[in-house]
Amino acid sequence: MLALQLLVNGLVTGCALGVVSVSFGLIYATTKLFHVAHAGVYTLAGYLAWSAVRHDVPDVLALLLAMVASAAIGAGIQHFLYAELERRRATHLVVLIASLGTLAVMQNVIAAVYTPNILQFPLPWGSRMASFAGVRLTYTQMLTVVVSLAAFGFTLWFAHKTILGKQIRAVASNPFLAEITRLRPQRVYVAVVAIGSAIVALPGVLVPLDLGLQPYGGVTPLLTATIAMIAGGIGSIAGSFVLAVGIAVLQNLSLLVIPGEWSIGVTFFIFVIFMLFRPTGLFTRR
Amino acid sequence: MNKALRFGLAVLAVCLSASARAETIKFGAILPLTGPGGLIGTQQKLGIEFALDKINAKGGVRGNKIEITFEDNQGKPDQSVLSFNKLVDLQHLPMIFTSFSGPSLAMAPLATRKKVLMINAGAQADALAKASPFLINTLPTIGDEIAILSKWLAKNGKKKAAILFENSAAGISGRDNYVSTFTAAGGTIVAQEPSQFGQTDFRPALLKLADSKPDVMLVSITAAAQQMAQQFAQMGVGFQVAGTTFLQDPALINDPAAEGFLHTQLQSQVPPELAAEFKAKYNAEAEFFVRQYYTAANILFTALDKVLAEGKPVTGETLRDAILKIKKFDGLVPVTFNSNTATVPFDLKVIRNKTDMLLEDLK
Repeated sequence: MLALQLLVNGLVTGCALGVVSVSFGLIYATTKLFHVAHAGVYTLAGYLAWSAVRHDVPDVLALLLAMVASAAIGAGIQHFLYAELERRRATHLVVLIASLGTLAVMQNVIAAVYTPNILQFPLPWGSRMASFAGVRLTYTQMLTVVVSLAAFGFTLWFAHKTILGKQIRAVASNPFLAEITRLRPQRVYVAVVAIGSAIVALPGVLVPLDLGLQPYGGVTPLLTATIAMIAGGIGSIAGSFVLAVGIAVLQNLSLLVIPGEWSIGVTFFIFVIFMLFRPTGLFTRR
Repeated sequence: MNKALRFGLAVLAVCLSASARAETIKFGAILPLTGPGGLIGTQQKLGIEFALDKINAKGGVRGNKIEITFEDNQGKPDQSVLSFNKLVDLQHLPMIFTSFSGPSLAMAPLATRKKVLMINAGAQADALAKASPFLINTLPTIGDEIAILSKWLAKNGKKKAAILFENSAAGISGRDNYVSTFTAAGGTIVAQEPSQFGQTDFRPALLKLADSKPDVMLVSITAAAQQMAQQFAQMGVGFQVAGTTFLQDPALINDPAAEGFLHTQLQSQVPPELAAEFKAKYNAEAEFFVRQYYTAANILFTALDKVLAEGKPVTGETLRDAILKIKKFDGLVPVTFNSNTATVPFDLKVIRNKTDMLLEDLK
């Protein structure tokens, strides 16, 4: 029973991480920028939804508002910071430092506005329990799985079936060729960061709904999601998602055989070995 | 003419002496003002500022205004060392307030070498007791509380314990004390699992601990106790949860998920008028760490008064010696220094109906 509960908990955590990984991968594969401030957008989304709920905005509307605001913030970061730096011929390292700086500013502004305390969503339904074959889950955990799978499916559909999705893939594949064909990569970059930011708002709201909000809580999920993106194969939406779920499940199940302090180390050691044999990732990019 | 000259010199001497007396004495504080420990650090800062404003409003210590420079270490040992060097080497401050075990332990060798007094009123790792002769701890190390708690639990039929500990200096120190004292009291440790500082997902660790079927889960975490309690309640298991002063968290006590949690608690009472004054000034409650650092600041001011009264220079050594010589301080808490680590009375409490109750009251 312990193994089953750990497996299910791993799947829940993995689904949320998978959406972070997919959204980050979408941005990275297209812009080639290591958008660390994505962790700040993830965190801010939760706080914005929390504020909306505190002002009696209906729960679903609060989530949608957080997604729209996150998209605007992501687009703003791309348009006013990254694009501007690129115009000034800044290297990717400079852009990375600017992104880190943006993350630090966002975290500290959130801490200043909302306090560094861990905040709880005032939504009692979120912690209600349901039991299936002895496995206990909160409503929030179940919602996280459903929404994450829907977001994953939507991203796959969007990337492969819509005009904008195809444009994004074209720019990701060859930005110079895309420019010649009037695709205007800078506009596509703004669009992809906005879409990635809207998607990451989903786990950004649902995870804190279950575990509480913290101003500095976005970095660890982003780190794990980044590893999943690389191990899954950069540019592969399915690879990012599957690997994120795999990492979370492995971390949880490893507790059956090793003490918790070794869990993260052993999990990532396995992935280091894996990367030695598959340095391009599990799923090759189409 | 000579008379006039003598009078003028006398006036000048009085003026100079007055200006010397009106000197501003500067100290420092290296606290986690941002990061996962930011809430605790902010409370500590407010406690110091509250005491500082009150003493300066009364004219300072023997006419000397007090000033305190705050540095943010984000709860990190490496950042603490940088801040320590800045305050000591550049500003030549003789005393620094510290907090958190890891940062305090990192700065302790520097304090010894540079003879700078450090006053810790928030960290409780055992290693702090012997870390430096220049480190004064205004609260006992965690071992004293845990020894009493372990004996009480074993005496009350809790023979099998699982430990949830934070993977930090304070958490590991607590874990080690639980292992030694609970075993010495006749109990058995059946499992132990770590969590990371600031982590809010305790489910995997709690599941594994619950699987060992303990009578009691001993907790040694310094943050996110409310989230731990909620996830514990969601598991629907019935064993006892017990911890130390770290569980004296208002958010935890107000959460129905913490019903029945048992914990030791350092005595710390704030008079209603002082609590009201604090609330009016900061629009916040005078929480545990506010009270701790308010008390610590007043211990420093009392020691400084003695140093100045004896005409000694204000140094880390003279301030430390004054604290150890005065020995007993009656502030919000009766603090006694038989060594550089204070002894403070504490109670055993249980959380019932969102209230922290003395266990004796229940009997």
